[in-house]
Amino acid sequence: MKRIVILFAALLLTVTAFAQNGKSLYQKYSDAENVSAVYISPAMFRLIGQLPDMEVGQNNVNLTPVIRSLTGLYILNSENASINASLRSDAERFIQSGRYELLMEAKDGGETVRMYTVGNERTIEGFVLLTAEPDEVTFICLDGSMPRKEFESLIADEMQK
Amino acid sequence: MKTLEEIENLSLEELGQKATEQAAPVPDGLERRLRQALAAREIADAARPRPARWIPYASLAVVAAAAALVTLPGRGPKDTFDDPRLAYAEVEKAFQTISDKMSVGRQLVREAEQTAAKPYQTLTKLQSK
Repeated sequence: MKRIVILFAALLLTVTAFAQNGKSLYQKYSDAENVSAVYISPAMFRLIGQLPDMEVGQNNVNLTPVIRSLTGLYILNSENASINASLRSDAERFIQSGRYELLMEAKDGGETVRMYTVGNERTIEGFVLLTAEPDEVTFICLDGSMPRKEFESLIADEMQK
Repeated sequence: MKTLEEIENLSLEELGQKATEQAAPVPDGLERRLRQALAAREIADAARPRPARWIPYASLAVVAAAAALVTLPGRGPKDTFDDPRLAYAEVEKAFQTISDKMSVGRQLVREAEQTAAKPYQTLTKLQSK
């Protein structure tokens, strides 16, 4: 009986870890007070069509030229102090369980910015931006496809400008 | 009466012969007592609650159902925008945010590079004096 309970708990934990993704985070926090949430589905991205070069301001890093396709976008912006810590820890758990790699971390004036990517050697299939300020947490999760080489050389070039 | 050492020195065949020569006496009522003990055990086994064999299968079914609920397509959240133009504007805004944050990182890298270059500049100055 004990073994059955342990097996059940292990399976449940697996499912819980599996459940941590952009969608589950979005569903958990999107209806909370003082949280602005945006979800754009793969179907909507098909309607939007191919992304033309976007204007992101002079001297700013523009990722759009290296994006081949986008299949989902989740944005959560919380100014609710009572859930900020929980949102941040859930997002970090999702990043760990999703095997995301840290691309960049910047700490400036109480704000921590982390960017992560996930994919294989050739293609980046997911991008996460997590920013945490004392009273605000922002989580942006992009699913899509970007050639890793092009993405990394874009970032390297931007860093040298 | 043989000593233990003598018995240990006997071969297996000799031991077999000795065993067949002298049949061990069966205690009175042994068979009856054995039957009674077996019957009592059967009754006790029947009364003892058996571990439910369905529990692992039920657990697996519950876990599979939970996984299906989480992962099945079509159960995602509803699109925030019905209008693709509004959705596009939001995507643009998201990229603007990502770009801004990356630029902050780039600025910090530059500052770090300047700080890291200071010791080298100081050493070069000292060397030229």
